[in-house]
Amino acid sequence: MKPRAARRRPLEGLRVADFTWVWAGPFCTLQLAHLGAEVVRVETASRVCVTRMLPPWPDFQPGPNRSGYFNQYNQGKKSLALNLKDERALEVARDLVRRSDVVVENFAAGVMDRLGLGWEVCRALRPDLVMISLSGYGATGPEAEYVSYGPAQVPLSGFSSLTGYPEWRPMHVGISYGDPTGGLHGAVAVLAALFHRRRTGEGQYIDLSQWEGTMALLPEGILSQTMAGATPGRHGNHDPQWSPHAVYRCAGEDRWVSIAVVDEDEWRALCSVVDPALAGDARFAAAADRKRNEAALDALLGEWCSSRTPEEVTAALQAVRVGAFTVMNARDLDGDPHLSGRDFWVELPHPEVGVRRHAGIPYRLHESPVEVQSAAPCLGQHTDEVLRDVLGYDQARIDALRADGLLD
Amino acid sequence: MSANPPSRDALGGVRVVECGDFVAAAYASKQLADLGAEVVKIEHPRGDTARRRGPFAGGRENPDASGLFLYLNTNKRGIAVDLDRAAGQEILARLADRADLLVHDVPPASIAARGLDDGELRARRPGLVVTSISPFGLDGPHRELHAHDLNLWCAGGLAALNGGGPGSDDLPPLKAFGQQAGFQAGLNAAVASLGALYERLGSGEGQLVEISAQECITSILEMTYEFLPYMGLVASRLGQKPIQPLDFLECKDGWIFICCVEEHQWHRFVEMIGTPEWSQMELFENRMTRAANWDALSIFLNEVASEWTVADLYHAAQARRIPFAPVSTMGDLLDSKHLKARGFFATVADPDGSPVTMPGAPYRHSATPWRIRRRAPRLGEHTDEVLAELGYADGDVVRLRADGVVA
Repeated sequence: MKPRAARRRPLEGLRVADFTWVWAGPFCTLQLAHLGAEVVRVETASRVCVTRMLPPWPDFQPGPNRSGYFNQYNQGKKSLALNLKDERALEVARDLVRRSDVVVENFAAGVMDRLGLGWEVCRALRPDLVMISLSGYGATGPEAEYVSYGPAQVPLSGFSSLTGYPEWRPMHVGISYGDPTGGLHGAVAVLAALFHRRRTGEGQYIDLSQWEGTMALLPEGILSQTMAGATPGRHGNHDPQWSPHAVYRCAGEDRWVSIAVVDEDEWRALCSVVDPALAGDARFAAAADRKRNEAALDALLGEWCSSRTPEEVTAALQAVRVGAFTVMNARDLDGDPHLSGRDFWVELPHPEVGVRRHAGIPYRLHESPVEVQSAAPCLGQHTDEVLRDVLGYDQARIDALRADGLLD
Repeated sequence: MSANPPSRDALGGVRVVECGDFVAAAYASKQLADLGAEVVKIEHPRGDTARRRGPFAGGRENPDASGLFLYLNTNKRGIAVDLDRAAGQEILARLADRADLLVHDVPPASIAARGLDDGELRARRPGLVVTSISPFGLDGPHRELHAHDLNLWCAGGLAALNGGGPGSDDLPPLKAFGQQAGFQAGLNAAVASLGALYERLGSGEGQLVEISAQECITSILEMTYEFLPYMGLVASRLGQKPIQPLDFLECKDGWIFICCVEEHQWHRFVEMIGTPEWSQMELFENRMTRAANWDALSIFLNEVASEWTVADLYHAAQARRIPFAPVSTMGDLLDSKHLKARGFFATVADPDGSPVTMPGAPYRHSATPWRIRRRAPRLGEHTDEVLAELGYADGDVVRLRADGVVA
């Protein structure tokens, strides 16, 4: 049950000119849309967002409005189609900047400047503007112009050198982790800048490097090097101090459960369920003993889990307050009574794909109605609305722009 | 970029109380502290979990100089208070009476027992924003389940997307390095708390903000979850990747990640390594056929890579706009010319005065820059100072300390 909220959404009345694409930038503006800003995505039909062209698509039929990837991360936004290859359309984009509180962009370095939409231009259009550039490498430095792709950010940031199985090559982490991490840090940065603007009237520019934002989540690795002169190494799901701390195979096809024990109370509780004799086993007496004999402990727990489903293991161990949980796949999440019970999912009508389930907002403001307002926009769905209601263009002007091919 | 000298802090004057243990609430309030908020962190007198975590200089355990704690708690003052005691809860309530935001990661079953009930705190101070971070949120059937970071990475659906690979599908789903569920929950908590604080500038009212760490993970599964509602398919970490090259190769002196997702990138790459004819071979003609034949192709490419250093291959590829990246070691990051030129790493003295180099600003504001004004506190370093500000007399503090309520 979601709380009933009485007050306004925090960013209601603020407008975001959204020149982002792929995942990092759109994830930043998704947070601003969640919090109530009017987010206008500026899109160009001849060069649409990469995610509009990626699967999944219903019925295996691709189409710019049919991608589940785009539709997940652009919920609640508007789409304004402008042919940014034409100077006259860029002038419309500048009009939008004049009427916006925030500009967010994550093009390659220098692209906004070439479009005549760089910071110096934008701040002249709107003196109290908050503008953020989210780029792979940041706006300055010798590699600022390097090409950055989401999957390559994970190894670049240091995550791959620390993630993986012992005696095994570096690994990925499963998603382009720098993208959502950059998007969230970007949202923090924009919100703080808006807070400052509200108190002083002053706007500003924010340079966010996804590489740096991702390293901000690696202190244990970086500080091991700077303080102790050693890199942690790759240890699978194991922890340097705590044991057991692993993922075990269960009964069923590719079914797994995670178990993590961090203190003696949890260890004794685990023993009480798995095998009371373990509590007196000298090999596992203290944390350091369990760590030293981790292979034997893993073998024993692996054996215990192998005849049980992950849900049975989770229920048995949670009953005695031991950290255990199923390795959830998409179907598990979909059927999770907890996520459904909390109304986490968003199912809103979309003109081309109908009602599909999407992940919702992981935070709730109990007095402000922070909820997804609409499904992701079709390409150019709000072009006329934005030109008319936001920019104040009359129909003749809109028709002329369209006749000149500037609204594609 | 404007060359104005740093003059102000974005969140100067914002008063925050943090009751955090380990990563989630600490990272949330670090975001605010490093942008100027005045944060008081309340720790249990036995000390935060991160104090026992390390890394430690020279490997010697020292709760005042654990690297993770020093990083997560920059720009905060610290007091040690036992919130299981009524007198401790009174200290918390008095602090909250003067605060704009209270952020905590106390498990739902213990919230009321530790004096953190948002209704009671807000009855005393209607303007207070209370942000609760918990594994599964404050309601729903799993609200009281017990979960550590690994459990949450699995519960949110991310572990299932990583690990194993062709020929090694018996290997378990794999977590990312570090306490990543905690960091994600902390980031979402910072976003939502700042939203509530911004709303409060207009309404003057506080509110309860609720974060579920599981949901924070489920909301970053890239496009994988959507394969189910859109196509009836369950994304799996197993088997071949759909497109290649998008993989790790071993060079002379380390690993590189090669990435040719666009055909022009592949053409430029095979030209660069002197085998332009590969772009014409049927087996490797597009990213899908390269994935289908990756077993064979990767053997050739590993041979090629073995003749390069990581740095040479990285910079040569990038000079041709091919988005390769080194598999950076921690040493590589610290030595990076690019990061040095940007001044990314921050060096802060630990409580004994030894310099500690750590990750710096994750974002750069032109007018109100991120900055470190104060190192992380020793356990209880500001107990006397903060209690005096709250109106406790010296004698009261002595008694509270003797009773073990504060340290």
